[in-house]
Amino acid sequence: MSFLFRCEDIGKTYGGVVALKDVSIGLESGQVHGLIGPNGAGKSTFIDVVSGKTPGLGKVFFEDREITGIGPSAMRRMGISRSFQRTSIFPALTVRDQLELASHGAGGGHTGELVEMLGLGAVLETEAEEISYGQQRLVDLALALVGNPRVLLLDEPAAGLSSQESAAMAVHLEEIAERWNVAVLLVEHDMDVVFRVCKVLTVLASGRFLVQGAPADLRNNPAVIEAYFGSTA
Amino acid sequence: MANPSMTHSFRDSPVLRPSGLIVLALVAALVAIMTMTGSRITLSLFAQAAIISIMALSVGFLARTADLISFGHAAPFGLGAYGTALIFRHGIPAELGILLVLLAVFALFFVMGLVVGKLNGIAFSMLTLALGQFFFVAVSKLRAITSGADGMNVSVPSSLFGLPGRTFQTPDGMLVIASVVLAALVIAIYLFEATRTGRLAMGVRENEERVLFLGYRTKLLKAAVLATSATIAGVSGVLFALYQGFVSPEIMHWSFSGNALIMAILGGSLAVWGPVAGALVFFFLREWLSDLTEHWHSVLGAILIAVTVAWPGGVTALAKVVRARLTGRKQGEAGK
Repeated sequence: MSFLFRCEDIGKTYGGVVALKDVSIGLESGQVHGLIGPNGAGKSTFIDVVSGKTPGLGKVFFEDREITGIGPSAMRRMGISRSFQRTSIFPALTVRDQLELASHGAGGGHTGELVEMLGLGAVLETEAEEISYGQQRLVDLALALVGNPRVLLLDEPAAGLSSQESAAMAVHLEEIAERWNVAVLLVEHDMDVVFRVCKVLTVLASGRFLVQGAPADLRNNPAVIEAYFGSTA
Repeated sequence: MANPSMTHSFRDSPVLRPSGLIVLALVAALVAIMTMTGSRITLSLFAQAAIISIMALSVGFLARTADLISFGHAAPFGLGAYGTALIFRHGIPAELGILLVLLAVFALFFVMGLVVGKLNGIAFSMLTLALGQFFFVAVSKLRAITSGADGMNVSVPSSLFGLPGRTFQTPDGMLVIASVVLAALVIAIYLFEATRTGRLAMGVRENEERVLFLGYRTKLLKAAVLATSATIAGVSGVLFALYQGFVSPEIMHWSFSGNALIMAILGGSLAVWGPVAGALVFFFLREWLSDLTEHWHSVLGAILIAVTVAWPGGVTALAKVVRARLTGRKQGEAGK
């Protein structure tokens, strides 16, 4: 199978501790691929290494061209974008200012559609530190989406959101993948969101690949249950 | 849905709002009245304060735009001052020479910015301290070029930038010139902040990692901000040399950098004009205290500590609080 975005044998060690070892994932356009696992499984580390935030091992390919180590800004301009586990926006800038910055950095894009889809129109002129946490998460998502990226690496976009906000986020993620044909890698703890939007799941445990498959197939997988709960009982 | 406008214009800049224009007009009127009525000593104090305000503005610009604290801005100030003295000594055309001096300061600090671009916080501050002291020692030791500790006279030409050379050495002339330069720089910084590059610089200050992940390269921008800040300090140094007619290594000592930093902190970084206000407060407080007691250093230090503890955001934070209270009172009155 030909993937739009492919990561091979991604690894990371901190001192002598292996945080991630030989994890490979391929992403297809228009599909949300979930990356799940218990705390410490290496999910965020995977995104950090792949996106160039943290140096690590392995190779990254985009449209079958190796792009390992090209750096975050070059990846973004190429159409590979990411969000962060902790909200990463510009508190003192208005929502409009930061979307404009993102749009220019990524070479333009569907900013107006994004504002409409994410419901940010009412807070465009408000400084980001003045809006609610849920809206800040949406701004974070919008920053990653501006400029029509073709690959989106999302690190817990629903973290800290209420159940209602998480459900709305799931709707947004589905729409993003389908409407703009984006290949999405979703790291998320909220299983309602994961099982609703992901077509494929990769499960990590202790920094290693555990299993991959459709959500329905993995829901009752004994290995997955054991990884999460320590026992299949 | 049509794209909401995502563009900026200078109209967004506070300096071009009616309130900003009124403040500028008031300052211009104040300077005009002072030149007509002020004593020579008063005018000289204000002229020096205006020159030092430009220095504080340069340090404040770096802190506000890049969140970088410099302990070495006496270096570009001194390079501007010594550069001016040297071009006059060697008969280089004055206007072109001053421009070349400022370009050299920009280029030097741009390269420095590229080299130290990844440094932030204490590491950056310590490096600027070391570099500042390097230049201080250099001008002290290079006697053949700078006359060392003896200092250099600055022979201002008979005509400079279309004005008689004397104008730069009289208190009223320099007060007007330094005030115009200061106002132009404050306006330029406000306008810069309204541009996309200005917003980007603020984005880098707030969250450089995210800016990188938005597709920007931040290294050039940070280097340009450092170089621009150093060039503003260089302008201050040029005016200092023209007015004083003499330069010596003391102007490149770290304690001068420290004073400029104190002025910037005292003024605060919530507004572009903060360091200017801080410089004026610092300068006149120092003059007043030094007339009262020979232990004015201690008294000034105690006052600065108290002010900094009471208002960590400096004069600009205080102004913000006062404005908020006034606005609140007005709203309350409107509601009655």
